[in-house]
Amino acid sequence: MPNKLLLTILTPEKAFITDKEVDFVSIPAFEGEMGILPGHISFVVQLKEGVLRYKDGHKKEIFAVLSGFAEVCGDKVLILAEEAELAKEIDEERARQAYQKAKDALAMRGKDMDLDAAQAALRRAVVRLKIAEFKKRYK
Amino acid sequence: MASLRDIRKHIKSVKSIKQITYAMKMVAAARIRRAQNSILSSRPFAVKMEELIADLRGDMESENFKTSPARSLFDERPGALSAGLVLVTADKGLCGSFNSNLLKAAAGWLRENRAKKIRVICVGRKSRDFMRRLKGLDLEIAYEMVGIFPKAGYVHADLLAGNVLRLFERPDLGSVTLIYNEFKSMLAQRIVRTDLLPLKQRINQERRSAEHKFRDFSFEPGKRRLLETLLPRHISAQLYRVLLESQAAELAARMNAMEAASKNASELIDGLTLRLNKMRQTMITTELNEIVSGAEALGG
Repeated sequence: MPNKLLLTILTPEKAFITDKEVDFVSIPAFEGEMGILPGHISFVVQLKEGVLRYKDGHKKEIFAVLSGFAEVCGDKVLILAEEAELAKEIDEERARQAYQKAKDALAMRGKDMDLDAAQAALRRAVVRLKIAEFKKRYK
Repeated sequence: MASLRDIRKHIKSVKSIKQITYAMKMVAAARIRRAQNSILSSRPFAVKMEELIADLRGDMESENFKTSPARSLFDERPGALSAGLVLVTADKGLCGSFNSNLLKAAAGWLRENRAKKIRVICVGRKSRDFMRRLKGLDLEIAYEMVGIFPKAGYVHADLLAGNVLRLFERPDLGSVTLIYNEFKSMLAQRIVRTDLLPLKQRINQERRSAEHKFRDFSFEPGKRRLLETLLPRHISAQLYRVLLESQAAELAARMNAMEAASKNASELIDGLTLRLNKMRQTMITTELNEIVSGAEALGG
């Protein structure tokens, strides 16, 4: 297969990647992980927070994405994530702290606390931790 | 008549004020570049988001979207008893007419809607203070967001959007209007007043041509669910842009105001120095005169 995928990752605060040529993308879709190779059928999916991987030749890169949408149209893959982070930039120690904090917040469960927000924070922390561990294993 | 000492004191105080205004100008100038960059980098996301929604929405007409709760975001509500307002101002003053123009625009809006119950969402300290001061209106502050500038992030926009949507859930609320300052250029800001909700139908008409593109797309988890989650995100993205615009506009306004203030201070200092020198010279001349005439009187 000669052709490649064009990957774009956008967040409201920053454009991470624009039209980068890659061989393979794996995205955390709403109902499970989804692998995309060139020639994939066109679709739109909702993303949940999770790990996004792509492969360009022998170079692999891992992103943490925190909920958003993905659109595949022809050879173009467009990721609209609410937040994204390059795995390399995630600090494991900080991730662990954030995880602990989110858990504590949930455990306390004050009267006027926003439960949704706390749970979302926890999920994010879990993703960060997961990526940090993933990184350790593959380095 | 001011004495030499008074004038010197005056010059000193003006100088220290000038130092402050100049420093504020430099701070604003340094921040404005960052603010402009964040506007630029938020643009691709907003554009793509709009496209995605437009495409989906075109498909939505035929679906069972009519029953979806997201549908109500599009509905016009005639005869509503209350109206919502989102007012975005700065947290601090010292930025020229930035805030006062906004508050004037808000006052105009309030006058138009004085018959209704008004629910406000305040962003920025100045807007909150203004709303609290108001009397004689049926007004309720639904939510306030203070102290986010100059570090407004998407998180804030998301939070704000959540509150706007919660506000709009009330069936008696007719519309939500947004008043903010748009960053037009370094020298000019423009006050914008738009209706945030109900969402405009135009979204779908603009891009009807793109509809075909989506015919053979597959969706997960279903178009309806997708749109229901997309629309709130759309509002967040829109509000995020508004926050960034307002932030950049505020910095630009402050920069200009502080530059003018520094210039005025310089002029004032020049004038005062001139007066000081003249006065000193007159005194010297008078003293010389006295000495000379005294010597003449003695010798003559």
